[in-house]
Amino acid sequence: MAKEDDRARHDFTGEAEELLDTLSRDLIDLEAQGQNVRPELVNKIFRNVHSLKGLAGMLGFSEISELSHNLEDMLDKLRMGKIAITRDLIDLLYDSVDSLNRLVIGINDESMAGLVDLTRLASRIHQAVSAQPQQAVGDPLAGLTLDDHTRKSLTEYEEHRLIENVRSGKHILTVEVTFDFADFDEKLRALSTSLSEAGEVISTLPAIDSSGGSGISFRLLYGSTLNEAAVAAIAPNAKVTSLRGGARATPPAISPANTQGAGEVARAPLEPEDDVSLRSVSQTVRVDISRLDHVMNIVGELLIEKTGLEAMTRSLSGQRALSQELLKIARNFDRKLSELQRSVIEIRMVPVGQIYSKLSRTVRKVARELNKEIELVLRGEETELDKMMVEELTDPLMHIIRNALDHGIEPAEQRAKAGKPPVGRITLTAYQQGNSVVIDVRDDGRGIDAAKIREVAVSRGLIGAEENVDATRAYDLIFAAGFSTASEVSEISGRGVGLDVVKRNIQDLKGNIEVISTPGQGTTFRIMLPITLAIIQALIVRAGDEDFAVPLTSVDESLRIYSRDIRTVERREVFTLRETTVPLLRLSDAFNLDGRGDEGPDAKWFVVVTRSGEKTVGLLVDRLVRQQEIVIKSIGTKLKSVPGVAGATEVGEGQIVLVVDVGSLIDHFGGRAREARARG
Amino acid sequence: MKILVVEDSPSMRHYLATIIEGGSESYDLDIVEAASGFEALKTLPHHKFDAILTDINMPDINGLELVSFLKNHPVYRAIPIMVISTEGSEEDRRRAAALGAEEYLVKPFESSDLVEKLRRLLRVA
Repeated sequence: MAKEDDRARHDFTGEAEELLDTLSRDLIDLEAQGQNVRPELVNKIFRNVHSLKGLAGMLGFSEISELSHNLEDMLDKLRMGKIAITRDLIDLLYDSVDSLNRLVIGINDESMAGLVDLTRLASRIHQAVSAQPQQAVGDPLAGLTLDDHTRKSLTEYEEHRLIENVRSGKHILTVEVTFDFADFDEKLRALSTSLSEAGEVISTLPAIDSSGGSGISFRLLYGSTLNEAAVAAIAPNAKVTSLRGGARATPPAISPANTQGAGEVARAPLEPEDDVSLRSVSQTVRVDISRLDHVMNIVGELLIEKTGLEAMTRSLSGQRALSQELLKIARNFDRKLSELQRSVIEIRMVPVGQIYSKLSRTVRKVARELNKEIELVLRGEETELDKMMVEELTDPLMHIIRNALDHGIEPAEQRAKAGKPPVGRITLTAYQQGNSVVIDVRDDGRGIDAAKIREVAVSRGLIGAEENVDATRAYDLIFAAGFSTASEVSEISGRGVGLDVVKRNIQDLKGNIEVISTPGQGTTFRIMLPITLAIIQALIVRAGDEDFAVPLTSVDESLRIYSRDIRTVERREVFTLRETTVPLLRLSDAFNLDGRGDEGPDAKWFVVVTRSGEKTVGLLVDRLVRQQEIVIKSIGTKLKSVPGVAGATEVGEGQIVLVVDVGSLIDHFGGRAREARARG
Repeated sequence: MKILVVEDSPSMRHYLATIIEGGSESYDLDIVEAASGFEALKTLPHHKFDAILTDINMPDINGLELVSFLKNHPVYRAIPIMVISTEGSEEDRRRAAALGAEEYLVKPFESSDLVEKLRRLLRVA
C-alpha cells in the first residue's frame, strides 16, 4: 500500500472515531427531543454518516462504506420526510452506530469486526426505508416569488425543507444582510442562531456586497411563524422580504403519513429513561453468562487435571518410549487447553462502551433535575472487560457520576465566579493497563475540601473533634460507612447509598478505587479492575505452614528481606523500600496462624508488596511458592465475613488454598496499629 | 498554480491534497485548504486561485452555495471549479452543473481520475 494510503488510513480511524462519537451523542439528543426533532439535527446526523461513507469508500473500507451507505439512504429519507422517526428506527440507528464503531475498531483488531452482522442490519434498514413513499403534490413552491437563481442554489435537502415550511403554513422570507469581511462568520452565525429560535434558516447564499462596499452579503432563506415585521425586529440591519408563503400559500393535500414531516415527526412515546435497557452490541448469539461460567469452571478443572498428567508423565521416566509419547500428548493437551481458556475468556469480553449510552442518559436526567449544564465526555469505550464485570460496574459508575454532578460540579454562577466555563464537564475514560482496566471519572468541579470533609466526619461521629484531616485522610473518609454529605439531596447522589458501597462493589470485583482531587479544579475517581475474574494469575505464597494465593493484579513486586530489615515505627512493623517506608503485615497474623518464632537478625523472609488504591502494604510471608493461573471459587457464606478472603482455589493434586483479597485485607489490618513483636 | 481545496473532513482534505500533489510533477503547485465554506470565503481575497475543489455537504454554507457565489462574482467567476461529492447525489450533481461548476467528481474515485480532471481544469498538459 502506498505511503499516502497508510497515512490516510491512520487519519481515517481517528476521524471516523470522532464522527461516531458525535453521532452517538446526536442520537441521544435525537431521542431526547422526542416529538420536536429539529430538522437541523437530523441533517447533521445525515451529514456525518455521509462523511463517514465518503471517507470509507475512498479508502476501500467496504463494510463500513456499505453500512454507512445504507444508513445514509435511510437518513436521507428521514430528513426528506419520507419516513417517520419511530422508536424502532432510533434503535436501529443506535445499533448501526454500534456496528460502525465495531467495524472501525476492527480495522486494527479483526476480532471486533467479525461480530457485526451486516446482512441483518442491511435488511432491517431496508425494511425501515420501504415505508410508503410520499405522494407528489404539484409544485408546492409555485406560490412563492422565489427567483430562479436562489432556487437553483438549493440542495435537494434544502428544497425539501423549503417545501415542508410552505406546507406547514410558515411565512417564507428572505433576510438579506451585509457584513464586514473581517467578522462575517461570527455575525452571520449569531444572526442564524437568533433566527433559528423562531423558525428555520433553510439556506444561506453568499453574494458580493450589495451596498457596493468591500464587505460580503448573505441572503438567508427563512421559514418562520413570524411575519415580515417581527423578523425585521430580530434582524434590524437586514432587508426582510416576504416571498408570500405562509397562510396565503395554497394548502396542499397532505396524506396522513405525511402529516409527520421531518420537522414535526410523531413517534411512539418513549419509555421512562431509567427503563431503557442496556443494549448489547453483540449481533450474534446471546448466551446466559452462567453457561459461560460453567464452561470456565470446566476449563479450570482441566487445568488441574493437566498438573496430574504432567506428574504422571514424569514418573514414567523409566519407560522411555512410552514417556516420550505421553509427553508429546501432554504438551499438545497443554497448548489446546491454553487456547480453549483464551477463547472462553475472549467470549466473555465486551466493550465497556456498552454501558456508556445508559450513563449518558442518566447524566442528562440528573443534570436536568439539578438544573446544571453538563457535558459528558466518554472515551475508551472499546476497552474490553469481562461481561459480568461490565454489568456489575454500571451501578458504581452511575453512583460516582451522580456524586460528581451533585457535589463536584458547582452551579453555573459559582463556576462563572471561578472563571470556569458555565457548562461542567465530566470525562469518563477507560483504558487497559497490563492485565487491568482503568476507568477514570473526572469532573472539573470544586474538588474535595478536606476541612469540609472533616466537619462532616466529626458531626457523624466518624472521627474525634480534635483529629487532623489532611487530603489523604479526607479521601479515606468519603469512603467510610456512615459518611454521606448528601443529607440534602440524597435523591440524587445518595439514594441511601454512600461511597462506601461503591468501594465495596469495586472490591467485590477484585478491583480498587482511589481519589485524586485538586481543590478548585476537580476530582478524579480512578477505578482499577482485573480484566476478568474467571481466571487470574496468582502468586502462591506460604505463611504459617499454609499456602495462599495472592492475585497478581494486586502485587507490585516481591522481594527477600531479613529480620534485621524489619523496623518498628509507631508500634507498627515497617521496612524500607527504595527510601520509602512500607508498613508490613504478617500474613500468618492476619489469619491467626502460628507464626515463626524469633530466628535472629539473619532469618529470611519474603515481602509481597501489594497495593490497593494509593495504599501499599508489604505482606510478610515465609516463602514464594510459584506463580500460576487460578480459578476463584466462592466459599459460600461461612467465611464471607472473614476479612481478607476473596474465595478459594484448587492449585493441583487436590490442594485447596485461600485466595487473599488484598483490598479488604489492607482496609481491615492496614490502618490498624499493631503491637510490635516482642524481641529477644 | 494555486488551488483551493474546500472540504470539512480533515482526513479527506489531506488525502485530496496528497493526491493532487502527487499528480503535479509537471507543474508547480500551491495548495490552500479550507475546512468550511466560510473559511473559503475568507481566504479568497488573499490569493489568486487557478482552481477550486469543493465538497457539497458542509456546515454553514454548502458547496452549491459557494459555487453560486463564485459564479456570480465579477472576479471569481473565472476560476474553474470542481465539485466533489459522494455517489447518489445525482440531483446535486445536476444542480452544480447548472450553477456553472466545470467538473464534477464522485467519491469514491481513482486518484488518476482526480489528477486527470484537475489537469483538464487547469488546462495543463
